[in-house]
Formats: sequence, C-alpha cells, structure tokens
Amino acid sequence: MPDLDATTAYRRDAADAVTACILDDLTLFYHHRSGQTHMVISPVPEIMERMADGASVTAQVMHDRLARDYDLGPQEEAIAEITAHLDALVALGLVRLA
Amino acid sequence: MSAALLVRVLRDPAQVGRLDADGWNRLLAAARAERLIGTLAFRLDDIAVPDGVRPILTDAKRDTAREAQQALWEADRAGQAMRGLGVRLVLLKGTAYVAAGLRAGQGRFIGDLDILVPRDTMPAVERALIAAGWEWVKEDPYDDAYYRQWMHELPPMIHVERDRMIDVHHTVLPLTARQTPDAAAMIADAVPIINGLYVLSTEDRIVHSVAHMLADGDMQGGLRNLWDIHCLLPDADPAALEARATHHGLASHVRQARRLAAAIYGDGACLTLWDRLARARLLARNGWGQESRKLLVFAFYLRSHWLRMPPLMLLRHLWTKWRKGHRPQ
Amino acid sequence: MKHNITLRIGPATFRIGSAWPQPIAQLAQLYAAYPDVRGAVADFTVRLQPTNLLRRVLRPSIFITGDHGLADAAPMSLAHGLLAAEMGMNLQMALGWRRHLLLHASSVEKDGRVLVMTGESGSGKSTLSALLGERGWRFMGDEFALLDCDSGAILPFPRLVSLKNRAIDVVADAVGEARMGPLLNATAKGDIRHMVPRSDAVARMDQGGMPALLLFPRFGHAADVRTLGQGEIFMRLTQASTNYVALGEPAFTGLTRFVRQVPARAIDFASGEEAFAMVDRLWEELA
Repeated sequence: MPDLDATTAYRRDAADAVTACILDDLTLFYHHRSGQTHMVISPVPEIMERMADGASVTAQVMHDRLARDYDLGPQEEAIAEITAHLDALVALGLVRLA
Repeated sequence: MSAALLVRVLRDPAQVGRLDADGWNRLLAAARAERLIGTLAFRLDDIAVPDGVRPILTDAKRDTAREAQQALWEADRAGQAMRGLGVRLVLLKGTAYVAAGLRAGQGRFIGDLDILVPRDTMPAVERALIAAGWEWVKEDPYDDAYYRQWMHELPPMIHVERDRMIDVHHTVLPLTARQTPDAAAMIADAVPIINGLYVLSTEDRIVHSVAHMLADGDMQGGLRNLWDIHCLLPDADPAALEARATHHGLASHVRQARRLAAAIYGDGACLTLWDRLARARLLARNGWGQESRKLLVFAFYLRSHWLRMPPLMLLRHLWTKWRKGHRPQ
Repeated sequence: MKHNITLRIGPATFRIGSAWPQPIAQLAQLYAAYPDVRGAVADFTVRLQPTNLLRRVLRPSIFITGDHGLADAAPMSLAHGLLAAEMGMNLQMALGWRRHLLLHASSVEKDGRVLVMTGESGSGKSTLSALLGERGWRFMGDEFALLDCDSGAILPFPRLVSLKNRAIDVVADAVGEARMGPLLNATAKGDIRHMVPRSDAVARMDQGGMPALLLFPRFGHAADVRTLGQGEIFMRLTQASTNYVALGEPAFTGLTRFVRQVPARAIDFASGEEAFAMVDRLWEELA
C-alpha cells in the first residue's frame, strides 16, 4: 500500500490515456490500456486534468494547483482528501506512484 | 474428425478452398472448442473465404486483441502490487507470449494470468496480492489444503473488482509429480521484458509448455498447447533445448512434443505407439465441437492424475471429488 | 448431430443440433416463415445434448451448450426442448456476439424510429413489445436490442417471443392460436409459451432504425413516470449489456452517445391499457 505521507509523488503515464465523457454531473473515463470504464465525480476530473502533463506531483502540489481555481477550505483536510483521491486512482491504475 | 480438419487448415490454410458450408461449420466449431479460432483467423488473413465467414474471423481477431490487452493489464497490476518486494515476477504462458511479441501469442486465447515466483517469496507475494484486491476463489478447505500441500501453485485467486484470476506458481509441476523441473534455474535465467516483468528463456518456455501438456495435463486443450510449442520451437537451438530439457528431467517429454508437433502441424514425424494414442486424444473432437472417444478422454484424465500423484493419494482425491458430483467433462 | 436445423434471426445465423428430434421439429414449425438458410455458414453452433449417455433415453435430460456455454448450466427436461433451443441461441448471442452492442431490451419501431424498453425479467418489456407489435408498431425483438456503435441505429433481433405465466393468455387472445407455440408447463421460470412475430417483423428483420425513446417499464405498480439522470441510465444500460466490456471503446462511444441523445423515462403501470396510454403520450411528447 502506498503510504499516506504528503511527500508521496504521483504521475500520469502517457500509456494510461483516457477518453472522457461528461454525463450530467458525472464524468466517465474510458481507460484504453485496461479497457475499463470508470465513473467519477468532482474533484477527480479536475485532479486528472492537472496531471495531464505527466509530471510528478505530491498531494501538496496538487492542492496548490487546485487552489488557484477553487476554494478548497482548510488546507490540512483538503490535502488529506486529495491524497485519498490520488491513492484511489493508483488502485484503479489511472495514476502511478512516481 | 473435425479436429483433424482444423489441424490440416492450420498447417496449410489454402486447404479451405475446398470447403463447403458444412465443412466451414465443422471447422469453426472445432476451432472454437479447441480455443484456436483466433489462431485460425490469423492463418486465414490472406486467404479468400466465403462472405459469411469473414465477420466471424474478424470477431475472433478482435477478441484475441482484447484478451492480449487485458492480459498485459493484469500483468501490470500484479507487477504494481508486488512493487517494492524485490521479487522477480516471471510471466508464463499466453501473457508471456504476448508480452514478448512471440508468434505463439498471435490470436491466442489467454484467460488467467499465470506467474512464477521463487517458492520462499510465496508468503510475501500472497500478502501483497491480497492487499491489492485479490482474494481466494475456493472456500473449500479440502481443496485449499490440497493445493497448498501438493500442487505447484497457490489456490487460484480472483481480483475482487476486475474479476480476473491469477495463478501464482512456485514450481513447474505439482510437488507430487515424478519429474522435478528446476524452477529456481528457470527464474534465474528469465529475461526482462517490460516494466520490470520477466519471461522464461527461449528453451525454458518450451520446456514449461511441454511440462504442462504432457506431464501435467489431461491434454484437454492440448491442440492449442501443441500449437504454442510448434510456434516456440523454431526460436530454440535444438542442442540447447535438449540440454535444458535434460537438466529439468523432461527430455523424453520434449522429444515427444517435438514429434507430435511435427506430425500434427509440421512436416510429419515417425510416431511411437504412445505418440499415436496421444495424437488420437488430441484429435478427439467432432464437427459439432464435441469431444468424441469418451473412453480415451477419460483414460487421459486418469493418467494425468496418476502422473501427478501416487495411486493412494489419487484414489482419495478422486473419491472426494466424485462425492461432490464432479465428473471429468 | 443427427437432428439439426439452421436459422437466421436478424444478423445472426444459428446451427442447432439436437440428440432428439422433438426440439428441432418444433423449431422448424415455428420458424417456418423465417428465411431459408440451409447451406449457410452459421455464426454460432448450439447443441442440445444428453447430460450423459444414458440420459438420451432414460428420463431424457438436456444439457444446453455450443460454441459458448456455461459449465454449470442446469439440465432441462426434454418436454421443454423448445425453450432449451431458444436459451441456447440466447446464450450464444449473450456470450459471443461482437458486431453490435447487445442490450437486454425489447424494441418496436414506428416511422423509422425505435422505442427501446429495458428492465429485469418480469418488468413487462417482453409482453409490452409483443402487444405493441399488434397495435401499429413493428415488433423488432423482445429480448435483445442490437445497437450499432458506428451508426447509432438499433437493429432487430425478432426471435420468437417468450411469454410467461399471466402474459400467455393476454397475448394469445390478441394474436390468435395459430401464432402460438406449445404450452411448456412448469419450467424453472413457470409456464412458458412462445409467440411467432407478425410477418412484417420477420420480413423487415434486416431493417434497423434510429432510437427515439428509451423506457424502463415496471409492471405491477401504480402508474408513474420518472426521469432518470444520465449517469444512472448509463449504468443501467451497461448492466443490461452482456458485451459492453468485450467491445471496448466502440461500445463506450456508442453507448454514451445513445445516453446523451435518446430521451428516457422510467414508467410504472398496473395494466396493459395504462401502459399503452403512457407509451403513446411519451412517444408524442419526447420522440
């Protein structure tokens, strides 16, 4: 299991490209490499979008990127939530540990 | 025998020029039953076929492409789950052929992910897989004890979300089998392929495939296994293969597989009486895709268990199975 | 196999072999008006075989299998052989069809546009499609609707309609005895009787149409009409499809387009008349 330390780095691999489709307030990702369809809600699409360049990010860096566009509330809670989302994405194989 | 028609066409695809609709129906049913429809589709790529046949072949190719993609994904997932363990993960069978881009992988049905890891790493591997979402398939304590005590693999596990099975092997044949291939040497000589995953060396790939077909299995699905072997053989130097097979205690099995592959898919070979029985077993499939020659098939089922287990243990095993209503085929 | 028949239903051709003559004779009679496809290469082989050698004559018991099969499929009595053959064909489609996205749904067509109805067994989708087929709609299928992932069209799969229990008399009254198959008593799903679709449904079985309305019917509840979110519709349709995963990206593209373009409602009804009125009204308003 990945540790929950905020220094853990994550990245999106070019080989893990997805096709996205928005249905009402949901986003579907078709993940070509696994052939799986994932149904996600905000802030997951926003997180994925901010990793599209393939660079490694920590939950802290992701928090700062999201904070430019959204009001995320108390930083500590927001980072914990972002970490949980990133780890869930690692489990799905959409995001990798850097 | 439609299995005979199938192997004739795999050997020489131009033979389909003579088929009428009934012949095609028999060929396609046999190919599906033997899980060779994808292979057949690739073999018929450049051959003219009737209108109704092409879509069936296209579907089969698409299915095997998806199988390959999913198999590689499962391998990737297992690799990620075992990240940091320092264990060399060796892919086996179909997944290995696809990962290495071998001809044996072209159009092949794959199914479960088979991996080989060193025996002393099994507890750590088991824990890592469970942490990543795999769980035991069988609840039955007898089966579980049987696997752990006598078999060459963990009881099968299935991924809770992806619904895909993984078989974790620590050696090549059951611990009860008379031959004891050198799994440690196979792992040591494995070659890196993608993202930290390994496949067996050219010679070991053949030895492993032969072990499964002739020393372990009841030859169910044997035509497909033999096709694998037929495709793998040209990559190996015959002398190196013979030496490696001898090291693993499987020289006579490898020689028999070479004779059978040559007789069924190649230019022919001089067969022993036992080879002829094996060939009859391999070709026991009719034009509706049913197994024919039931007695012969059953004899091979018995034989496969006899090869793997001493007789008293076999009796105990079969009794336990039959009491639960299990019958071969 | 000794007894056999080849049938074409919509885009799929089946070669059905049986160890016994009865199921084949019944199929030949009920599918008499379908295209003659003797000598065709079949997409699928279906086998009705004895569970073991003795069971061919002694309390005959049918094991349904074929190109695609389920190892643990429960055997059926020979008296239900016709149902076994139908189940065998469904099994091949469900596990093996790759040329369209398969939706476990019934469908009917009017003016070139298609109404698709999906729901669990017992939802009334089958009966509703059969009855609409007698009321000015063209019946396209009661079990599978085939979505062409490239064009977005729905294609017909008008096999015999399988009617259960209370629906049998309702439909038999509407279509007449001549189009009804034998009554199969006490199957695992209760009493079953098959109905032969109208001749126009068979004659036009290669003609699809664009989907214009999706309904989730539910029989046996007080009349109600509900809207559903696109996410829920997508999920329910993937659950109603046996080959969504197998088709990969084309299915993703085809199904998301379907969900975004086709208006959908869940409808509850307590009687056929109530359902017809709802269908007419929703078709008028939305399609």
